[in-house]
Amino acid sequence: MRRVFTIAQTEFLALVRTKFFIIGIVAMPVLMGGLFAFMGYAGKQVDHKDRTFAVVDRTGALFEPVEAAALANNAEVAATGASTGPKVFPTRIDPGAKTDEELTVELSDRVRKEEIFAFVLLPAELMDPDSKLPILYYSQNTSYERLSDWLRTTLRDAIQEVRFSRAGVDRTLVSKLSARADFSTFSLVEKRADGTVSAAREVDEIEQFGIPFFFLILMFMAVMTTAQHLINTIIEEKMSKISEVLLGSVTPFQLMAGKLLGIVSVSFLLSFVYLGGGVYALLQMGRPDLINPVLVGWFLLFLVCAALMFGSVFQALSSACSDLKDAQSMLQPAMMILIASYVVSVLVIRAPDSTMATVLSMIPMVAPFAMMIRLTMPPGPPMWEVLLGLSILAASTVVVVWAAGRIFRVGLLMQGKPPNLPELLRWVRR
Amino acid sequence: MTPAIAIRSVRKQFGAHLAVNDLTLDVPEGSIYGFIGPNGSGKTTTIRMVMNIILPDAGDIRVLGQPVTSSSRDDIGYLPEERGLYKKMQVRRLLRYYGQLKGRSIADLDPVIKHWLDRLRLTEWADKRIDQLSKGMAQKVQFISAIVAQPKLLILDEPFSGLDPVNAESLRDAVFELRRSGTTVVFSTHDMSTAEKMCDRIFMIFRGNKVLDGSLDEIQAQYGHDTVRVRTTGGAELLQGLAGVESVNDHGNVQDVRLAGDPQAFLRQLIEKTSVQQFEITKPSLHDVFVRIARPTADEMREPEVA
Repeated sequence: MRRVFTIAQTEFLALVRTKFFIIGIVAMPVLMGGLFAFMGYAGKQVDHKDRTFAVVDRTGALFEPVEAAALANNAEVAATGASTGPKVFPTRIDPGAKTDEELTVELSDRVRKEEIFAFVLLPAELMDPDSKLPILYYSQNTSYERLSDWLRTTLRDAIQEVRFSRAGVDRTLVSKLSARADFSTFSLVEKRADGTVSAAREVDEIEQFGIPFFFLILMFMAVMTTAQHLINTIIEEKMSKISEVLLGSVTPFQLMAGKLLGIVSVSFLLSFVYLGGGVYALLQMGRPDLINPVLVGWFLLFLVCAALMFGSVFQALSSACSDLKDAQSMLQPAMMILIASYVVSVLVIRAPDSTMATVLSMIPMVAPFAMMIRLTMPPGPPMWEVLLGLSILAASTVVVVWAAGRIFRVGLLMQGKPPNLPELLRWVRR
Repeated sequence: MTPAIAIRSVRKQFGAHLAVNDLTLDVPEGSIYGFIGPNGSGKTTTIRMVMNIILPDAGDIRVLGQPVTSSSRDDIGYLPEERGLYKKMQVRRLLRYYGQLKGRSIADLDPVIKHWLDRLRLTEWADKRIDQLSKGMAQKVQFISAIVAQPKLLILDEPFSGLDPVNAESLRDAVFELRRSGTTVVFSTHDMSTAEKMCDRIFMIFRGNKVLDGSLDEIQAQYGHDTVRVRTTGGAELLQGLAGVESVNDHGNVQDVRLAGDPQAFLRQLIEKTSVQQFEITKPSLHDVFVRIARPTADEMREPEVA
């Protein structure tokens, strides 16, 4: 047993020192956070050049509101610094007797000469509520949306305003009357033993989707992180005949047990880091009520099974191969099963109490993901279902680890062409 | 005295391939025993069975007086052919790891590690990673990894291949030092002169069968007295046509001639044809014996080594 721990310790240290793991555990969240921060920053920083644009107002009623809104916008930009957006400068173009076509040609030329940035055509019919004619916005740089967005809201508001007043309706009253009622989602209330009624908690998105997704992704990551390492070390050991040295000292069973113990510890380490991060995030968000130690307990139980089951399959399959390329293709089906289990479990989030969710959470490979999600979503599955799912999973894990051990024993000393499925099954039976 | 390794009627088959056929062998305690044989003839299979890495189909193997179990293997050091080291691990950590897997504690291991690193001039490399070492140094580290648990029986697969003369010399000295302290050493080699010089006894396996087993003298006695070394004015061409000549191994100025008949009759023929400067009845070298056994079927030996 001491040797199993020696192997586990060595595997653990080797794994946590790999660049892959360090990137996965530390750099990944930092990179993601950094990316979001940068995107937020960049979104605000994009180009605050002054934007001059021409307005051809055939309605005769819209240029003034646009000009007023532009002044308000520019004043706000000046007050808050450049970070809120560009200043906008409308110029009125008198259409005179020119047709739309003549105007667009002429104004397009001015845009090309960079005298103006864009122009907008406002047909007279815009004011007619029955007309479906659109506002026409022209620009060389059509992917630049700040100006078009600003114009869209400004013009829509202005058009509404004019339409309302022409119809003799008070707009503020309309918006008051048509305001939508808020809709809040709560969990159930309980009557406590002392007769008081527990306050119903408001259920928000963090609770509804954040927590299930957090556990789902963490489970997947914890199982997946160790896979590449397992493949690499086993192939290295085989190619450089280390496995013979090891088998000259320990039994194949001890070797496999040590490796499994090593990777399960790494999965735990990774989970603890992220669980810690999750708790910290919830505290920061002022939602300590969502921290649930029971969930963490279930998570770790399911994680042990998932890590052992997938880990032993990855080990057995890599042990049957003689080089990395063979191993990659050999492991592809197993990887697909893992990824498929993860993906179908996303469906469970939408209907955690459906028959499909119940069935999925009984299938051994899927259970760690599906049952975990159901556990995170109130009211949660009945206890007997959880225990049944866990028992099926645990029993299959035992069988899978046993079969993997048989393959591992033969595979480690095998050189040359990797075996096919019937050969693998023969190794198991032998 | 109980032999260090006692193999009794052992047989191992892989599919249709008979890797080891009815092998019986005793390796006396405290000896240096050479395993020779062409690639694919069953050396590695035999060694793996002694190590209990694979099990024989039939027969019985006792190592150090008892059936091989995982605990008895703690007293056996094993060095597979080349490599066998984690490239990314530091020398000291690797040696400790391999020793711990033999059930030794770090406290017991460290003095041994220090002794051998000093002895093989590797001390300053102790905290370097294996992939920073030269091939010769890595091979020495590998050697230490096999003896770090102070085994009573040491099995080495091709320990000297690819080493420069200085490093080969220091490893040979290390092997002799181990033998003096009572360790039994078994090593396989393709270098016949090393086997001749170092081994007390030699075992040759060919196509799964034992074909040689004994001291060098015994083997030479078995295959000797039919080889003569001659130096004549006529040279190699002249020898080919003579009666009783089976083969001629031309070294330029001298030729080794294998005879089917009486050397004296051959000498009389020779004197009639040419002038003889040197005529010596010699013992065949191990190399000659090896080639004589393995050559006729060398083409058939192209199959890859079977695990």
